[in-house]
Amino acid sequence: MKIVAVTACPTGIAHTYMAAEQLEKTARRLGHGIRVETQGSMGIENKLAAAEIRAADAVIFAADIAVQDGERFAGKKIVEVGVQEAIKRPEAVFARLGG
Amino acid sequence: MAAVRFAFPLAGGLHARPASLLRDACRPFAAAVVFRNLRSGKRADAASVLELVASDTVRNDPCLLEASGPQEREAMAALRAFVERDLPGADDETPPAGSAAGASWLPPVFVAGGGSLLRGRPLAPGVGRGRVRRLAGRASFPKRFASGRRDAAQELESFRRAAAEVEAALAGSAARAAGPVAAIFKAQQAIAADPAFAGRVAGLIAKGRLSAGAAIGQAAGHYAGKLRRSSSAYLRERADDVYDIAAQLAEKLYGAVSRPAAPASGPFVVAASSLSASELPALQRRGLRGLILGDVGATAHVAILARSLSIPAVSVDPGALARIVAGAEALVDGRRGLAVIAPGAALKRYYRLEQASAAEIRRRRSAWRRLPGRTRDKKRIEIAANVGRPEELATAWAAGAQGIGLFRSEFLFLGRREPPGEEEQFAAYTRATRSAGGRPVIVRTLDVGGDKPLPYLKLAPEANPFLGRRAVRFYAGHAGLVRCQLRAMLRAAGRGRLKIMVPMVTAPGEVRLVRGLLKEAAAELRSRRVPHARSVELGIMVETPAAALAVDSLAREADFFSVGSNDLLQYVMAVDRGNPALAGLYDPLHPAFLRLLAGAARQARRARRWLGLCGEMAGSAELLPLLVGMGFDELSMAPGLIPGTKERLARLDAAACRRLLGRALRCGEAAAVRALLRQFAAADDGSARRQVTAAGLVRLGSPSRSAAEAIRELCAMLELDGRVGDALALEEAAWRREESYATDLGLGFALPHAKSPAVREAAVAFLRPSRPFRWAAGSRTPVRGVLLIAVPEGGGEEHLRLIAGLSRRLVHEEFRRALLSARTVAAALAALRSGLGSG
Repeated sequence: MKIVAVTACPTGIAHTYMAAEQLEKTARRLGHGIRVETQGSMGIENKLAAAEIRAADAVIFAADIAVQDGERFAGKKIVEVGVQEAIKRPEAVFARLGG
Repeated sequence: MAAVRFAFPLAGGLHARPASLLRDACRPFAAAVVFRNLRSGKRADAASVLELVASDTVRNDPCLLEASGPQEREAMAALRAFVERDLPGADDETPPAGSAAGASWLPPVFVAGGGSLLRGRPLAPGVGRGRVRRLAGRASFPKRFASGRRDAAQELESFRRAAAEVEAALAGSAARAAGPVAAIFKAQQAIAADPAFAGRVAGLIAKGRLSAGAAIGQAAGHYAGKLRRSSSAYLRERADDVYDIAAQLAEKLYGAVSRPAAPASGPFVVAASSLSASELPALQRRGLRGLILGDVGATAHVAILARSLSIPAVSVDPGALARIVAGAEALVDGRRGLAVIAPGAALKRYYRLEQASAAEIRRRRSAWRRLPGRTRDKKRIEIAANVGRPEELATAWAAGAQGIGLFRSEFLFLGRREPPGEEEQFAAYTRATRSAGGRPVIVRTLDVGGDKPLPYLKLAPEANPFLGRRAVRFYAGHAGLVRCQLRAMLRAAGRGRLKIMVPMVTAPGEVRLVRGLLKEAAAELRSRRVPHARSVELGIMVETPAAALAVDSLAREADFFSVGSNDLLQYVMAVDRGNPALAGLYDPLHPAFLRLLAGAARQARRARRWLGLCGEMAGSAELLPLLVGMGFDELSMAPGLIPGTKERLARLDAAACRRLLGRALRCGEAAAVRALLRQFAAADDGSARRQVTAAGLVRLGSPSRSAAEAIRELCAMLELDGRVGDALALEEAAWRREESYATDLGLGFALPHAKSPAVREAAVAFLRPSRPFRWAAGSRTPVRGVLLIAVPEGGGEEHLRLIAGLSRRLVHEEFRRALLSARTVAAALAALRSGLGSG
């Protein structure tokens, strides 16, 4: 499955990046392709291109604040979780993506 | 009648210290001086400190001094000089800046830790614990006659005797004390000796047929009432001083009438709506550990004295104060500004750990006092003190001065009718060099002019005394007086390291003149067979643009140079720094001034002459990098600024400072220099290159057993390592973050983090508790490692990237295991650094 994700948290110092890493690590183990955009202390990094979003089978928002430029994902099925959940129970997050 | 008009310059208003200085300035002249506040409309006899204080004068009030009498012209000239030169520096210790409001957010242990919490305002830092003792009521002022008979004359006599005794006792206390404490005693002494106060008491006894006690009480009420109605909070607090003195007078007359002394019964905390400063020392001797006061401000004398005596103090809401039960255990936290009555075990433990950290931080800080000033790249710069009176010497050495860069000799000459003799001066200079124990003392020769007329100096009044015949310019006409001072200096130099510095020099001829007088002085001592130094270094103040531009030619005559930055800036900018309307122009960052200063420094270096700077700028944190860049050998400042300057200096890189100076000298205006300095301080004062973590930021086997204790300990580690200025502010920021949700990862790791302006540079601190503990009430996996990330407001991208990388690594079990299994600090540090990718 091709997945795109966005992580974001209030201070953007640590959890944003931990969640990103955890999602990437888990996706690899489960055999999915993934690209994660981080919206943290250094601004938006690894920004997802419109084509990547269009081509994605699933979208994950692991965020405790509103995702910036969320309209890019209009029409997509988005699984929204808190950053903590992405860090602590990543498998559960992926399980919610369905088929 | 002659008059001088001015805007009152002090933030604290016209309080006892400037008032007694004003009174002293008037004293030598046969003239009656009246002070008028043109805003409040009040007038005061300048001979009465109390009336001056009660004139309700606050900063920027338009004021007028009028003199009348045979010496009114001389008095006015002296007062003009006093207003311009002495008054602006006459404020007391200013209240502690920054955390004046105390902690706004507290770790949960304060709520869950047991006890009842009283939030208030900090008065004096530190933590103290003891049983509550309540002090209530004020001293009483008995109606019965102190002399035993209803005889006004005898009653008056008893009062006069008591006043003289109290004044003498306070004078003795002032002489034994130093710094702000001495100032308090002096201020109280002034009230005890005040003619207006004494006159009012005498009138009440003679005409009102009152007992001395009742008269004192009424007079105190009169002046305290005036002060309480003042527009300045600072002056309102002075009302307590009047009662303090009144109580001491009553005690002299009637025996103990003030509050009963607390019996010795172990450490105690005093809870009282207010307290007299003079009650503190005795209470401390009996075991006082803290103060919980009512409506008392940080500038009240009791608060200043508590800070000096290291007694933690807070002020709390009077209602809450009233509910404190005597005998209960109380904990006073003068840093956060709170008190806890009957604290629980968890909170006591928290404080015990905090105090251990505080002791460690104090130990490290005091190390700065012993260390010489030097930059990170080991360039040495002597950090010295400016001293105006012998009492300040002890303070200077205690603060870690490496020398006295400016010892003003005017205190010996002012306020008297005859000049001081050679012996008196010799004693004063020797006292200074003896206290120095081998460190250098630079004594400045007499620096007065037509603005500060001394009865024994025949200086004609001038229209513009600051551009007139002052300092070295009158030496030729008063050779005897100058030789006398030089003889005393030569003798003192024979016993210690003393250097002589001449003020107001503009040309080499003036230095030659003083050198000639110095030779004559030495010859006189030789002929009298008085031991003295064979040679002594003779230097000059660089305080005129002429001297600053001709350091090279002056170097042929002078052994060393010291920039008098205040006067130099004043002369460069053609601005009277006492004039509030022009304050904006008095700016040391004006490129013209910086270029002049840098040029003078370059010339001194080329001529291989030692170069110092003694003025307010020496202690300025903002200017420090530029002064380092200019290559000063010494910076001499107010003693209180010394430890901080040494610490800041140690973080600077001299080479980087030189590059910064090069850029600053090319700036076109002060605002551009200021922006440059701000940028330098934020990003590149050399410190930013330090690694994000260090051995001092890793602790294994920590005693912390809760999130509160762990976060506190990590913040203290960062403070100790110089990464944060105020650990409390960081702790608060971390807890605010923790409040949105716990940073326990559920992997045996907690990752508290905070962004705070208190953070100087981004850093990561790590601790492993000796016993794993639960981070929050609901958490399942005990925490075995805690990593605190501290980031400055608007911190550097580079550091944030390292920390983002570290956060990513924490997701991986191998990395966590490496951190948790490292046997030594070095191994844990290596693991942490591998996570940061900084090797």
